[in-house]
Formats: sequence, C-alpha cells, structure tokens
Amino acid sequence: MSFKRMATIMGGTFGLVAAAPLFVGDIRFIMHILIMCLIWAVVASCWDLIMGFAGIFSFGQVAFFAIGAYSSAIFSVNLGVPAVLAMLLAGLFTALIGVLVGLPCLKLAGPYVALVTFGVHMTLMPLLRGKIGMALGSGGSVGILTIPPIRIFGYSFSSANLVPTFYFALLLAMACTAVILVVIKSHWGTAFLALKDSEDFAMSLGVSAFKYKLMVFALTSFLTGVIGAFYGHYIGMISTRMLELDLFCTLMVMVVVGGIGMFPGTILGAFITVIANELLAPLGTYRAMVMGALVVILVLLLPNGVMGFWLKPAEAEAPAA
Amino acid sequence: MMRKFALLAVTILFLAAFGGTASAADTIPVGVPLAMTGAYTGSGQDYFKGIKMAIDEINEAGGLLGKQLEIIRYDSKEFAPEVVMQGADYLCGQKKVASVHAGWAGWGQDVRAYGKYDAPFFADDGSQAAVDVFREDPKKYYNIYQLTDVGVEQAKSMFRLLMTLPYKYPNNKVVIINTDDSWGVEVGDTLEKSFKEKGWKVAKRETVPYGTNEWGAILTQIRRIKPAIIHVEIPSAQEVITFFRQFIKRPTKSILSYGWGITPREVLQNLGKDADGIVGEMPSGLPGPKAPNPAAQAWIDKYVKLYKHQIPAGSWITYTAVKAWANAVKNVGDAYNFKAVNKYLKDNGYKGLLGQIKWDKDNVLRAQPGAPIVHYQVQGGELIAIYTDPPIKPYGNYKFIVPRWIK
Repeated sequence: MSFKRMATIMGGTFGLVAAAPLFVGDIRFIMHILIMCLIWAVVASCWDLIMGFAGIFSFGQVAFFAIGAYSSAIFSVNLGVPAVLAMLLAGLFTALIGVLVGLPCLKLAGPYVALVTFGVHMTLMPLLRGKIGMALGSGGSVGILTIPPIRIFGYSFSSANLVPTFYFALLLAMACTAVILVVIKSHWGTAFLALKDSEDFAMSLGVSAFKYKLMVFALTSFLTGVIGAFYGHYIGMISTRMLELDLFCTLMVMVVVGGIGMFPGTILGAFITVIANELLAPLGTYRAMVMGALVVILVLLLPNGVMGFWLKPAEAEAPAA
Repeated sequence: MMRKFALLAVTILFLAAFGGTASAADTIPVGVPLAMTGAYTGSGQDYFKGIKMAIDEINEAGGLLGKQLEIIRYDSKEFAPEVVMQGADYLCGQKKVASVHAGWAGWGQDVRAYGKYDAPFFADDGSQAAVDVFREDPKKYYNIYQLTDVGVEQAKSMFRLLMTLPYKYPNNKVVIINTDDSWGVEVGDTLEKSFKEKGWKVAKRETVPYGTNEWGAILTQIRRIKPAIIHVEIPSAQEVITFFRQFIKRPTKSILSYGWGITPREVLQNLGKDADGIVGEMPSGLPGPKAPNPAAQAWIDKYVKLYKHQIPAGSWITYTAVKAWANAVKNVGDAYNFKAVNKYLKDNGYKGLLGQIKWDKDNVLRAQPGAPIVHYQVQGGELIAIYTDPPIKPYGNYKFIVPRWIK
C-alpha cells in the first residue's frame, strides 16, 4: 500500500476521532473509551511493526507497556521527576530493556523468540510483586496508586479532565503512529521486509540483520514505553493486573482484526475491538465466547483484517508491501 | 467485495443489537461491577447471588419508593486499572446508578475510581491498601463502604482460632503458603508475625503465584519439617484443591488451615468429604448450617432452595449491603440524594439478620457481632461453623474434630 493511501486512512481515522468530543465530550465513559482506544492503537501498531513487518514473533509488547508505565510512575512518584520528563525517560528505559531482550532473540528462530519474549511477560509480574519490585518502588502486589497527572504550564491532563487529555492522547498517538508509518516506508521498512521474506538473501545484499532487528526492538519498545507511561499518568494508578492475559489477548485480537502486517489496520483494529467489546457487554459471561467467534469469522472471511476492504487484489496477495 | 460489505453490515447490526439496551425511566438502576469473565468469575457469581436475592426481594415487595430496582451489570474482568475506572464511569457517569454493589473490586483502585462520584459504593476488598487510599481523603471517599474487615484483622482472627482449637499441637512449627497478591501477602505477613510473637517457628514461608498446581517440591519440604500447622492462603479453588489432593497422598500430622480459601463453592464441590478436617474462615459471614436465629435460618433455607448449595463467601454480606442501602433510601426518601443516603448509612448502619452492623470511621465493616468472622471446619463434606469472632467463641453445638490424617 502506498504512503499516500496509508496516510489518508490514518488521517481520516484520527480526523473522525478528533471530532468525537463535539458530540460526546460530556460523556465520561465514552471519552475514556476513546482515550483507551488511542493508547491501544499505539501498542497494537508497535506490535504489528515488529511482528507483521519485521517478522519477529515478539510476545513482549504488554510487558514493555507495563515497564513504561511502572518506570515513569516510579520516576515521578519516588524521584519527583516531572511527568513529561518521566515519560521520556520511561521510553528510553523501556527501549534499553527492549534491546536487552532483543539481543538473545537475534540468535533464535521464530517460535523461540516468542517463548523468550513471552517469558519476559510472565516473569515481570512476580518480579514487580516481589521484593525486587518493592525495592524499586513498584508497590508490590498493591501497585502504585498515587501517580501524578501530566502537567504542562500548570495545566493538568488526567482522568479528571477528559477532553484536553483526549487531545493530548490523540497528539501522542498521531506522533507515534506517524513515526511507525515513516519507518515502514523508509529504507528501514524495506530492510525489515527483506529480512522477513528471506533473511539469508537480504544479508547477502548487505542488509544487517543484527542492526535492523535490534533497531526495531528499540523503536517499538520506546514507543510502547512512552504510551505505557502516558497510561499510568492518565489513569493515576497501576498494578500488575495489567499483566493478566486478558489485555494480552485483546491486543492480539486488535492486531488480527486490523490485519497482521497491514498497517495502519491496527489503528482501526484497536477502535473496532474495544467498541465491539463494549457493545457485547450485555452478554456477560458469553461475551468472550461471542467475541472469539466473531474474530474467527472475520479472520476466515477477511484474512487481511479490516484492511482487506481497502486492498487492491494484487496488494491482498502480497501484504505488508 | 459485496460479500465483505455484507459481512461488515451483519456484524455491525449484530453489535448494535446488543448496544442499544437502555434502562426504563420508572426504575432505579443499581450498578453491579463484578468479574463475569476471567480468573475471578467464581467469586463474582457468589457475590451476585446475594445481590440478586436482595433486589428480587425488594422488587417482589413492591420496589423501593414505589419503583422497581434494575440491575446494571459491568464485567470487571481481572481488575486492570483502566477497567475499574471504566466501570465507574459507565455505571455512575453513564447509567446514573443510585448505588453500586461489588465484591472484590480492585483493592484500592476502586476507591479512587468510584470516589469520583457520590453514589454509595459497597466493596469487599478486605485490603489495607483500600483503607489507606480512603484515609488519604475521607471526605472525598465518603461514599465508599467496605463490607469486610481488612486482611490483617482477618489473619489475626485466623491466628486466634488456631490458638483456641481444643487440640494439643505436637510442636511449634508452622508452614505458611500464600499468594503473591495484596490479600495473600497481607494475611501471610500478619500470620508470620503473630506466630513468631507467640514463640512459634515459621519453618517455611512460601509466596506463590496464582496457577500454582504442582506442589511436589513444597510438600517434600513440608514432609521433612513435619509442622503442627500448615496455613494455605490462596483465594482460588484450583490451587487449594490440587494442594490437598497432593498433600493427602502422604499427609503430615498437621492442622490444615485454608483461611478464606475454603469458602469458594468449587472447593467443596470438588473435594467433598475428602476435605473433612480442613479449617477456614469467612469474613462478614452468616454461621451455619444451623443459623443463630429463626430469621437467619429462614434466609439460609431460602438461599439453599434458590441456589441448591450452602452459602459461599460474599453472598450474605452483599445481600445485607443491598438491604442496608435500600433502608437508607427509604428513610431519606430519595435514592439520588446521595449526601443524605451516605450520611444515613454512616450514622445508622443497618439492623441485619444477626443484629446491628455499623461501619467505622474508615467506612470499614470491621468484624462485629452483626457481621462476624465465621470459622469453619469441613465436616461431612460441608462447611460447619465451629467458632465466631469477635469475641472468639465456639459456635452453637458444633465441635472441632481432629482431622483423620492426624489420628
């Protein structure tokens, strides 16, 4: 898909979302859902970049999200760092962790990368709840319940102030996804695709698998860390319950609904998944079952996710191009 | 392409069919945020049974202030921070409920989320963390009510029970196993401190994550230690069932104390009479199977007839909370005069089936005669109340029986 079409879909989506407060600005519940959609759109897009474009089966995205949220909260609560600076530091710290996780993954094949990265996810909860986490200021099993909101020039962006916070989230999501779009359409993106399609052939042409794979780990971890940090300051509290498999599965559904390797489909996927999930709420215990069935039907009929609607026949045969 | 658009249209119509529910104007909406999916579904169902029973009773009796109560449910899933907050915004902000009745609700996160509103919010966090959040700003969180005492106090009561049992311990060694969440750690820490103060040796303290079902390594150590007491504090059926199944293959002569973990229905449904001898507790419980007075007995009989099993943790106290709120509304005369309803609840409490209940300065329903901590032993495959606290005293004619693996 061309840069222009991708940018048009992104612009159209964000444009529509930007108009939402005109109609639902006074409905807290919907504004909160929209902000969460923007947050998940970034996380899912990062996941799509590393998995769909770079072909690295990383299952550590939720862990990086939590690391970003926790590190920013710890920086601001324990060290008194202003929230905006804490978010940036959290992004850098998460990128560092991403690189450390990525290093051993470079020597592993697909399913083993998934195991290592999911291992990071699984060990994070006991680590944060245990003595090491407590010493670092994670709040142990209780979590951190007093995260200050983002303040810029004395103006506060938090759950008490939803419309301005929504626009802050929108700007952040637009910036993060714009970075992803530029990367995909730059020589980096071409290198990712070359390595994904045939690593040996790409390397014979001088594409460094080491450099580009590490780069994608660092970039996606950084962006996920920043948006995770925003999540913490927005909600005002975090706990290890964000590491339960519930969120992991929901994010995976967002990527599948949007289309794997079909950026910017994940942005649409995030909105569709969250809204569908909320609309199915009256089904109670049957919600997960119905949601699962809908996803199966969608995958069978639209293997490229909702982006299948925009693809030309030739593009549908060669996704992520 | 046509097929794709047809699919999209059908999906949207399907979702819209569920999204269009609205509450009727002549009802009073009551919010019920509970886990309906995920790891905590079982406890969510137990809480809901009590809430529904109370609301059905009120509706059958003509409603509240002439209006029927309408339950608006919200799936709290696994209590991720944004889900807890979303629940508060949905129920209080969007649906304008007159009160919120929950069970486990977020262990402090819920206080922040529902404290933004004024509708009375009843939760069973049983957590000091939730109380600490309340204490930060009691005026702001004046609408938050905890239905059970905190983990620290429940653990102290468990310790009192273990020290009161008519049984001579062969040694002073105890093994404590607890989950790694705030509840498990709170109870485990308090028990460890209490045992040490009493001169006991905490021979092993193990903090385990949920989902631990392979107990071989821990049981090997326990068999070497031969403790007089093993306390397992895991509020999830699967783990305590697997622990017992593996323990009983080569049991040590230890009193097996399960704390809160004995009360989910799945535990006894699975273990049945095999579990005879295990002790455990239920905060804000209604002792049974024979209740202390005819009204309470009638309640138990009705509950058993409705749900075909004895009372699990949470059912009775959530029932009582709905009745307490309804009583406050009746006295105030307006379900949406939140300030007055909250003031009434705070000042007067409620006269329940076991007597008067009253929330303390932290809006916590501390263990009290009207809502005691009930200590059980499994006998004949059922929970039999053997002690109540406070004060710790034997209950009715029921007696503690030395477990068969010790005899």
